[in-house]
Amino acid sequence: MTLEFGIPLSRKRERRLLGLAAMFLLVAGCGNVSDESNGESETSSDAEAAAAVVVLPPIAVAEGDGLPATLPTDLVWETNDQDPEFASPNAVKGGTLRSYMLAFPLTMRLVGPDSNGSFSGYLRPNLMGPVSFHPFTRRAIPAIASEWAFGDDGRTIYYRINPAARWSDGEPVTTDDFVFAVQFMRSEQIVAPWYNNYYTDRIRDVKAYDDYTYGVQGADAKPRNEMHYNYAFGPKPRHFHVMTDEWVQEYNWRPEPTTGPYHVGTVSKGRYIDLDRTEDWWADDLRYFRNRFNPNRVRVKVIRDQNAAFQLFLKGEIDTFGLVLPEFWHDKAQGEEFDNGYIRKYWLYNQLPQPSIGMFFNTREPMLNERDVRFGIAHSLNYEKVINTILRGDYERLPTFQVGFGEYDNTSIQPRTFDLKLADEYFDKAGFIDRDETGIRVREGQRLAFTVTYGQPHHTDRLVILKEEAKKAGLELELQLLDSSAAFKKQQEKKHQIAWGGWVSQGFSPRYWEHFHSVNAARNQTNNITSNADPVMDELIMQYRTSSALDERIKLAQQLEQMVHDSGVMAPSFQVPYTREAAWRWIRLPEMIGTPTTSEIFNTQATSAGIFSSGGLLWIDTESKEETLASRKRGEKFEARVLVQDDYRS
Amino acid sequence: MSLLNLNPQTVKQLKRFRSIKRGYWSAVLLAILLALALVAELLVNNRALMVSYDGEWYFPTYARLLPGTTFGLDYDYETNYRELRNKFEAAGEGNWVWMPIVPYNAYENDLTSDRYPPYPPSFEAEHYLGTDSTGRDIVARLVYGFRIAMGFSVLLLIFNYVAGIIVGCAMGYFGGAFDLLFQRVIEIWSNIPFLYVIMIVASVVVPSFLTLVVVMALLGWTQLTWNMRTSTYKEKSREYVSAARALGAGNVRIVGSHILPNTIAVIVTFIPFSIASGVTALTALDYLGFGLPPPTPSWGELLSQGTNQLQAPWIVSSVVVAMVVVLLMVTYVGEAIREAFDPKQFTYYE
Repeated sequence: MTLEFGIPLSRKRERRLLGLAAMFLLVAGCGNVSDESNGESETSSDAEAAAAVVVLPPIAVAEGDGLPATLPTDLVWETNDQDPEFASPNAVKGGTLRSYMLAFPLTMRLVGPDSNGSFSGYLRPNLMGPVSFHPFTRRAIPAIASEWAFGDDGRTIYYRINPAARWSDGEPVTTDDFVFAVQFMRSEQIVAPWYNNYYTDRIRDVKAYDDYTYGVQGADAKPRNEMHYNYAFGPKPRHFHVMTDEWVQEYNWRPEPTTGPYHVGTVSKGRYIDLDRTEDWWADDLRYFRNRFNPNRVRVKVIRDQNAAFQLFLKGEIDTFGLVLPEFWHDKAQGEEFDNGYIRKYWLYNQLPQPSIGMFFNTREPMLNERDVRFGIAHSLNYEKVINTILRGDYERLPTFQVGFGEYDNTSIQPRTFDLKLADEYFDKAGFIDRDETGIRVREGQRLAFTVTYGQPHHTDRLVILKEEAKKAGLELELQLLDSSAAFKKQQEKKHQIAWGGWVSQGFSPRYWEHFHSVNAARNQTNNITSNADPVMDELIMQYRTSSALDERIKLAQQLEQMVHDSGVMAPSFQVPYTREAAWRWIRLPEMIGTPTTSEIFNTQATSAGIFSSGGLLWIDTESKEETLASRKRGEKFEARVLVQDDYRS
Repeated sequence: MSLLNLNPQTVKQLKRFRSIKRGYWSAVLLAILLALALVAELLVNNRALMVSYDGEWYFPTYARLLPGTTFGLDYDYETNYRELRNKFEAAGEGNWVWMPIVPYNAYENDLTSDRYPPYPPSFEAEHYLGTDSTGRDIVARLVYGFRIAMGFSVLLLIFNYVAGIIVGCAMGYFGGAFDLLFQRVIEIWSNIPFLYVIMIVASVVVPSFLTLVVVMALLGWTQLTWNMRTSTYKEKSREYVSAARALGAGNVRIVGSHILPNTIAVIVTFIPFSIASGVTALTALDYLGFGLPPPTPSWGELLSQGTNQLQAPWIVSSVVVAMVVVLLMVTYVGEAIREAFDPKQFTYYE
């Protein structure tokens, strides 16, 4: 009885704890292989006896699509062995890294219901695909594939896989596993509509030419790096999956073999999960993977409260801890463990796409459909005060909707700042001249008041300051804090006035179609939460979407970004172009600490920030661990250290 | 004591209540606190009580918002009276500002760029108990939070008691199938887990003051029914009821004018405890984040801030002390009332 009772509770809790996830990670329909599934529905299977094995149909190809029957002979095979190595040659293998998660996962599957928990962040990077991306040059580097070639239709890639590649259970990786991946992802048995759609709509064909050569055809022509990014999905082990209508239940606790450095070892339900390093990992000596993924084991413990986890970190029961939040970095991460040099603090500036966060104005709503009102609001938001007070000056102002994509960025855009004179001008122009007895502007009985819908309880502090400051401009903001999934739903259905939150951005280039195209303004359940609809913009967006010429795409992206800014449908808030963490002194890093694309310094996994191969640089110095613990017992001190890496600061 | 038309029994009970010192003084103190909370705008506010500017007097407290331009300042938004006071003092032109004792309201973020909130208590800054994590004055949050919590409890109490008394009396008075049916209904109803219902409601809509009262009243009215049913049942069999009926009084008259006054002791003794449970319930909900929407001042919200920021002990200690004191006083009052209304004079409650 207690068990039955416990399950929905922990499910609820997980959703709550992943406060940001609902808001930020559900970049639904973002078109990204490593993206999250939205599959939440239950299986339709009834509880009959042993379910029959389902034979997945061969790859169906639509008219106009399809790979050639034989491998083209004129292909130019490429690889990348020129980019610099970045791991430290001093790294030593061994030891256990102890980490934590806030809730035990509800499944070990990576697709299907409940497969989006935080633990999937440890599993997904270990499903290595054919290529990865160099963390400095951002070019494709060989992973399972050792060579690749592009077809002349602009949307086809051929990969030649490394014969040494093995699954963690010892079976060789073959091209058939890539064909199976598409069959698998298209199948109904996995109960993952998002993946079903992606692998049908975006991946049009896959074909194995021999045991080591296969081809993929995508939907649209794209620049080459983006082709890899969008179409280079990882393999699925055909020998492991027996597809039945009960697949979701049968494979709920059966971790899939991996192609990456770690696989799931001991699982102690509700307590911890071990990720063990695959013995004699096939990629150990590859150019970009040597000296990486050093700990033999990563133990991820369940600690249900962040503050409790921090206390355990101070005791030395967890090796590393994230300190991005100002209150952690400045206030909580203080004291003898830090002063005596047992724990070191690290601050690494990176160059990753920034989440597009801020206030999004729903132009379906009265008043908000007037550009002057939107501009007025933008000038009434005192983001600078929030940054300089409660955020300790640590965050920076986000200049526009999407930044952090290198040459795609439109750097000429300056954000609208808190300026009562300008706000006054715009509101006056919109006809909001008089103020009522509470000091809020009115126009023919209509008050200048809006509801701000948000789902992150810890953002209340920021919003109350914005609210109080906005009053000075005669603007009233009502705060509406909802459960994160309820807030997300409300925004997707466009029932909000102003949405607070935003989108995680990944990949090589900014996205406009899902956020600003009029097709998505008319429909509900889309990411165009501003209901932006502009025919001129639509045309440019479609040009941008179908163009495969890099120069043209850059020009279009910058033009589109300018249009977003000029429309004022969004008031961008903050960016955090860095990560901050702390670790016990026995956790060692290369001198450079991290790469420009490192999203988490002490990430042990193959990729971080979704695509770049920047994880797994740390190693554990066992001698130093003994020394530190002994010194701590004796009360001896080391030099206190705060390491700042700002070489990549833009 | 020349009490109005109170019957001797009531007079005796009141006298007895007075004689219980702890409860009596708690009641007096609570009454004073409540009265002060009702006029909190005069004591804890960022608006001045009185401004004398160029020979004219202004009373901004309850008036419409006065923009800075009223007093020769260069902005259209609400005057910052603390700055105005300093300005007038520095200028020395005979203008003056009379500020309340605590010159902050519960919403205002008093932030400076050289230090980061929460700020510790400071007499110089007139933050007598310090500020919370966004620079809001803790005294102001406590006082306005107290007023809201008390208002909430009283309103909830009225809803609960009206429903509880009507249903309870009807059950006891009519008995039979009606009684049996309602007993079962109430048994089932009172098994609905209140916290879960609130959590569900809070995830769908932003709970406003009134929706919270209504939801909690919907789930809370059953408590009083059992007691009312029992006492009505007991009174119903008394002779005065038969007499009233013999004289031709209707059901409503019998229950309303004859039975109810005789069960008043039951109702009155429960009131303070209901108030206390209302305050705790609201605080608990706010603490968990299912209560009143931000930025409403609330003790639960302060408590949750305080426990998250133990490095700023003034937050958690202020609110804990305030809660303990208020709940203790309410409980003392309740205890005294119970004793005063107890027909068995010589029973002692520990």
